[in-house]
Amino acid sequence: MADTMQLVLAGADERDLTKLGEYKAVGGYATLEKARGMSREAVIEEISSATLRGRGGAGFPMGRKLSLVQPPEAAGKPTYVVANADESEPGSFKDREIMSRVPHRFIEGCLIAAHAIGSRHVFIYIRGEYLAEYEVLKAAADEARDAGVLGDVALIIHRGAGAYICGEETALLDSLEGKRGQPRPRPPFPPIAGLYGAPTLINNVQTIANVPVIIDLGAAEYSKIGPEASPGTVVYSLSGNVERPGNYELPLGTTLRELIYDVGGGIPNGRQLKAIIPGGSSVPVFTPDQLDTPADFDSIQAAGSFLGSAAIIAVDDRACMVQLALRAEKFYMHESCGKCTPCREGTRWMVSLLDKIESGRAEHADLDLLRNVCDRVEGRSLCALGDFAVWPVRSYIDKYRAEFEAHIDEGGCPYGGGSSIEGVVAPIDQHTHSPVAEVPA
Amino acid sequence: MSAAETVTVSIDGREVEVPKGTGLVETALAAGIEIPVFCYEPRLGAPVGACRMCLVEVEGIPKLQAGCTLTATDGMVVKTAQTSKLAADGQNSTLEFILVNHPLDCPVCDKGGECPLQDLTFRWGPPVTRNTFPKRTFEKPIPISPTIALDRERCILCYRCTRFSSDVSEDDQLVAQARGSQSIIATFEDQPYRAPFSGNVIELCPVGALTSTQYRFEARPWEIQDVPTVCGLCPVGCNVEATTREGKVKRIGSRNHPEIDEGWLCDKGRFGFTHLRAGDRVVDPSRRVGVRRSETLSWDAALDEAEAMLRAGGANIVTALSGSETVEQAYALGRLLRQGLGAHCAVMPEDVNPALDAFRLPLSSIRDAKLIVILGDDPIVERAPVVDLWIKAARRAGAEVVESEIGAPDGGVAKARDELGERIRESERAILIWSGPAGNGGATIAGLAAELDLAEKPGSGAFHLPETANGRGVADGWAAAADGDEADPEPIELLIVSGDEAAANPDVRALAEQAERVLAISMFRSPVAGWADLVLPGTSYLERDGTYVNLEGRLQRLRRAVIPPCPDELAWIAKLAERFDVDLSPHSPQVFAELSERCYGGIDYSAIGEVAELPERAAAVEVPPAPKAPKRERGKGLRLVSYRPLFSGPAVERVPELQFQRPGSEIELSADDAKKIGAKAGSTVQVISNGTSVALHARVNKQLVKGVARIAAEHAQGLGTHVEVST
Repeated sequence: MADTMQLVLAGADERDLTKLGEYKAVGGYATLEKARGMSREAVIEEISSATLRGRGGAGFPMGRKLSLVQPPEAAGKPTYVVANADESEPGSFKDREIMSRVPHRFIEGCLIAAHAIGSRHVFIYIRGEYLAEYEVLKAAADEARDAGVLGDVALIIHRGAGAYICGEETALLDSLEGKRGQPRPRPPFPPIAGLYGAPTLINNVQTIANVPVIIDLGAAEYSKIGPEASPGTVVYSLSGNVERPGNYELPLGTTLRELIYDVGGGIPNGRQLKAIIPGGSSVPVFTPDQLDTPADFDSIQAAGSFLGSAAIIAVDDRACMVQLALRAEKFYMHESCGKCTPCREGTRWMVSLLDKIESGRAEHADLDLLRNVCDRVEGRSLCALGDFAVWPVRSYIDKYRAEFEAHIDEGGCPYGGGSSIEGVVAPIDQHTHSPVAEVPA
Repeated sequence: MSAAETVTVSIDGREVEVPKGTGLVETALAAGIEIPVFCYEPRLGAPVGACRMCLVEVEGIPKLQAGCTLTATDGMVVKTAQTSKLAADGQNSTLEFILVNHPLDCPVCDKGGECPLQDLTFRWGPPVTRNTFPKRTFEKPIPISPTIALDRERCILCYRCTRFSSDVSEDDQLVAQARGSQSIIATFEDQPYRAPFSGNVIELCPVGALTSTQYRFEARPWEIQDVPTVCGLCPVGCNVEATTREGKVKRIGSRNHPEIDEGWLCDKGRFGFTHLRAGDRVVDPSRRVGVRRSETLSWDAALDEAEAMLRAGGANIVTALSGSETVEQAYALGRLLRQGLGAHCAVMPEDVNPALDAFRLPLSSIRDAKLIVILGDDPIVERAPVVDLWIKAARRAGAEVVESEIGAPDGGVAKARDELGERIRESERAILIWSGPAGNGGATIAGLAAELDLAEKPGSGAFHLPETANGRGVADGWAAAADGDEADPEPIELLIVSGDEAAANPDVRALAEQAERVLAISMFRSPVAGWADLVLPGTSYLERDGTYVNLEGRLQRLRRAVIPPCPDELAWIAKLAERFDVDLSPHSPQVFAELSERCYGGIDYSAIGEVAELPERAAAVEVPPAPKAPKRERGKGLRLVSYRPLFSGPAVERVPELQFQRPGSEIELSADDAKKIGAKAGSTVQVISNGTSVALHARVNKQLVKGVARIAAEHAQGLGTHVEVST
């Protein structure tokens, strides 16, 4: 069985690390002192050579971002650190664990990052629904501020208002600026022109929480954990039809089989595994024969999907893949921001077509059309949401085509009322804040 | 200045060299290749990459790229839909997605025939739809204001209109609401879009989603004729296009003069044209009979009557001009009256002064200024609206804009000189703007500019915002007609009132009281009814050929868009002139040729192109010392400053759709005075003066000096120089 290895969550099982005193008792904020004693360049060098890859989904090396940010003296502008805590990907719940259990480690990471780019402002943009996590984080920030830990850095925690798109970094920045949260065209990338047009480092909560770990251990030690190209640990969010869902911090590269069967305890009720979603609902699906893929950025990508936010969702054999696709697509239709044409119009069209197939009114041409609409949305939208809206649907079609065709041939769902996606995803009405956009039947 | 660095880009195999940083859409155009766009509009600021119409293939990048968001870099290899199957598929898919929910009601859509969506669909779009589902529907059309209708079904969500509202006019009233496929364009809580530049969104809309209520169902593009002319409703002189059908003006559109208006129009210029068809339009000459009645005259009888009045008046004639006449009209009137009768006395619409010509700049230079200092008491947008957009653009680009206090005794000149003088002198590209009455026709601001050495500094200069559209040109034309003594005649045998603005001027009305007889040239009956003895029909700027001089000093051509319902002024002035042995052509080109010799250096009428050039800066002239300011009358309470609002005057009064734009009944108070009076923002206060009492809403304006209140002229009627304000 794979052993958990707690670096980011270290100490949280034994102590209440939400308290400053407790955190300091395990050496908390000593790393910040160490980092502040180092030159900016040395901190960046350490993070770069540790090859810390972004845990928010894209896996972009944080060191590269850091070195792209012009320091304020050179830019003639202030620089900003923005922490992306708008965790919204269905299946992903690691950041809430980090913020509610080790908020100080996350704040410490923010402050080290601020030191590295000469920033005096840290903004944490936290998902609006994370009220409990916000309160823990706020209390921790207040305690740190009162204790003088922040130094001359202003730490601002901003709550989102319930939009998946605001997890996209440029939409987040617009939202933070008080605008409608919609993505910006890139380039310019945030390190060049981000918040208020100033050089901005924007990273996911978990990425930032790894920063004190790296400074503490040193890049050389850190790099020994996990695969060479993506070292370190990651908090896997394991969910769906597994015995023991939850967050597990493990070295990157743990295989899906270990995750689902050893860590997660296998599929409950004697059911069979039907599909694995390896990186949150937006990534292409895996079939059980891909169980031995190591769950790290490069291995998953080589196998045709993405590690994303390391949200592993197990789907058992009760699930109707058409139903699952429809459920996923309704999410993306609801969350499409409406800025660019392919995503705005394509998601709605795809929902209509999936609904037609699921309800047994479709013809084979509709399936071909759906598949083609997927191809025409992918790669053409302004941000990645368009791709996210395509990948699940298209991969379900490609890997479970017979099931889609059976819906057409049999004039309805072959599972009848027997299918279930319970436990895989929440019902749509639990997701949507406003009535689901009306889609013609 | 060294030549800008250039880069070479290959587009569809064609090499093209452009300055570094040129947008890809423009780079392609330079290579003769069109990259189609919907949301891209450089005048709205940075590209947003929303519509995805401009997808192109760029070598080295696997995904299709939004061409509008890219800039040319050296060695870039781009393939557009012309040569790339992938790009063609991308554009085709964008159009398919747009059309999935577009109603395709082109046959009844105003935009049909001049619609980019229609054109691009024909060229790049799918021939048939693959959508079998009912389309998304919305309530429609929604009147977002009395002048603009919104059809949300046709909207393709390019966000041009909302970007205009937030990033150009900065009124922030038009916004996007909801999300994803349910996104809509809306105003906050369905309030009307009430802003001076709202109509521009109609032109910006690349589909028929935002249409003009005036133009709805009025014409199809293949039945119209667009006449390039110049707006005559304010001194900016925006270049416009009058769309005509069957002899009627149907709409006014912009005709981008990059130095004057950048293609933006105010709503007065855009929607004001229906005053041409006002119910009280004068189309025949008429004579007053008794106190209240008038009778229509034939033109022969009218000219006889006019001749008799002129002969009786002789040299004792006073002519009151409006500033809306063409240069040619003013010149022709001058020839007739000054040469024919020796009647030299004229009441000019406002002061003009050539001293400003030494500091001349195109309006567009305001955008590039580093420091802008605004003097005078009137809001710029009310006086010369588009200037306000240039200033906003400058502010966005980082310029410092300093507004003087409102109500300062000298318009703020002394303070500007003392407190900002050094900075203005040292700043690159410093511009002074005078917005308000007084100012001696620009001499005051020219004097300050001279003092601060702005004449030789590139990009620096001064503007004076006059009140009338062609006050400059009218003064030029009148002066060119003859030399002569301008002594005030006593008694006044005849007062000639030229134009509706003059007729509305209280000073002119006072002169009429003294005059034996009154001859009025007027477009409308009401302003002259009851006091003019002979009324001759006037024409509008849209019905005339001729020239105007705008506030920059730029000579521009008016072109007749429609035939007026009466002979135009030049025609009958020439006929009348014949009777006084003054040889005058009824045709503006000939009249211009004559006057051009005298005041415009002999330039040729045909040389004033559709996009007129700004003359070179004139040599500095001695700036006359500012005449001593008239002694301020003392009074009780606050000194009143009033201004003529943009949405007022004879044209606006006759356009029902524009009434919602007229200023609210407000009084602006300084923070100190408001506090003293106990007036809260928005509360109603009593304003008393001269025995007149009006109730107005209080507004606090921190720019106002203590002891001064500002009210729009139409709410200040009957009020004296001072007002007492109480809650």
